[in-house]
Amino acid sequence: MALEHENWKGTTGGMPWMQRTLIRLLAIVDQRIIYGVLCLVVPFYMLFNHKGYISMYHFFRDGFQESWWKAFAHVYANHFRFGQIIVDRFAAFGGRTFKFEFSEGKEKYQALAREDGGFVQLSSHMGNYELAGYILKQEIKKIYALVFWGETETVMENRRKMFSAKGVEMVPVKSDMSHIFELNNALRDGQIVSMPGDRIFGSVKSLKSSFMDHSVKLPFGPFQLALLREVPMVAIFVMKERWDTYKIYFRFLEADESLGKKEQAQQLADDFAREMESIVRLYPTQWFNYFEFWED
Amino acid sequence: MDVNKLKEQIIDALNLEDMQPDDIDNEAPLFGEGLGLDSIDALELIVLMEKFYGIKLQNPAEGKEIFKSINCMAAYIDAHRTK
Repeated sequence: MALEHENWKGTTGGMPWMQRTLIRLLAIVDQRIIYGVLCLVVPFYMLFNHKGYISMYHFFRDGFQESWWKAFAHVYANHFRFGQIIVDRFAAFGGRTFKFEFSEGKEKYQALAREDGGFVQLSSHMGNYELAGYILKQEIKKIYALVFWGETETVMENRRKMFSAKGVEMVPVKSDMSHIFELNNALRDGQIVSMPGDRIFGSVKSLKSSFMDHSVKLPFGPFQLALLREVPMVAIFVMKERWDTYKIYFRFLEADESLGKKEQAQQLADDFAREMESIVRLYPTQWFNYFEFWED
Repeated sequence: MDVNKLKEQIIDALNLEDMQPDDIDNEAPLFGEGLGLDSIDALELIVLMEKFYGIKLQNPAEGKEIFKSINCMAAYIDAHRTK
């Protein structure tokens, strides 16, 4: 499982020149036209990205107990959705803005952002979390987002440009563990740390949990970081509703402080797995972990 | 600086349940080949230094030197502790 996590880098596909062309194109063309092209491209992508296709097929078959034809239709829909998410991301690079709706908890989140202390914000490979960086602009705090440094220079440069204007600093995972110091410094200074909660990278330490009636391993790091620094933890899901609209869900995770640190970390991980499940059941085609996610 | 006490704090913080202070070589590297600690453990050690000795580590390059071994850690604590 850890190996699956490590093998799947979750980076954006395409050559840098293709990405640059797409950004320029999306600055002048409505993204719905590109969505139309996607419908035709997706079957080929599925054909050549066989491994991702199979894992997603298993996700719908084993997670949702779907018939083979329904699972297949959902795999197509999932790939199409993923294409839309990437197009939207590049459209944002090109200056396009989106509408956002919010679930309950927006006020609580804003209050946390105004308070003195820092907090940990959990992301996941569902929906379009990256757009949260553009909309949840921080007036007081900065967001230090842990990222895997595997994207092309085009993607990273555009992210840097977009994020720096919104108070988001990217912290790449490095073998010298400097990212640990940066994240720790950020929380100590009362800033926000953003980390993926569904992906094991950096440290191989993990916590076992249950997700859609299957056993999964979640990274130990984010939960341990919040507990060690004694800061709150919130999971954020940014899910696509319509072509120009996203809905942001805030889920606050809390552990029983009377328990030991290890038990508290387990409790937070279980809570996160439950929240991921509740969101993915609302948006089954917006699950973008293209590897066998369960352990069993 | 009581090196054994430091080792006990490390064993406790890192949950090294099967280990005793004597099992840890004072000169062995804490990361990689020695104790085999990883980035999450580094975080634990950073917080341990802050909690017990009032030392706020900020610089990754500095951390590399401090966490070389138990003796390096103990020497740094002796020189910089505020509590």
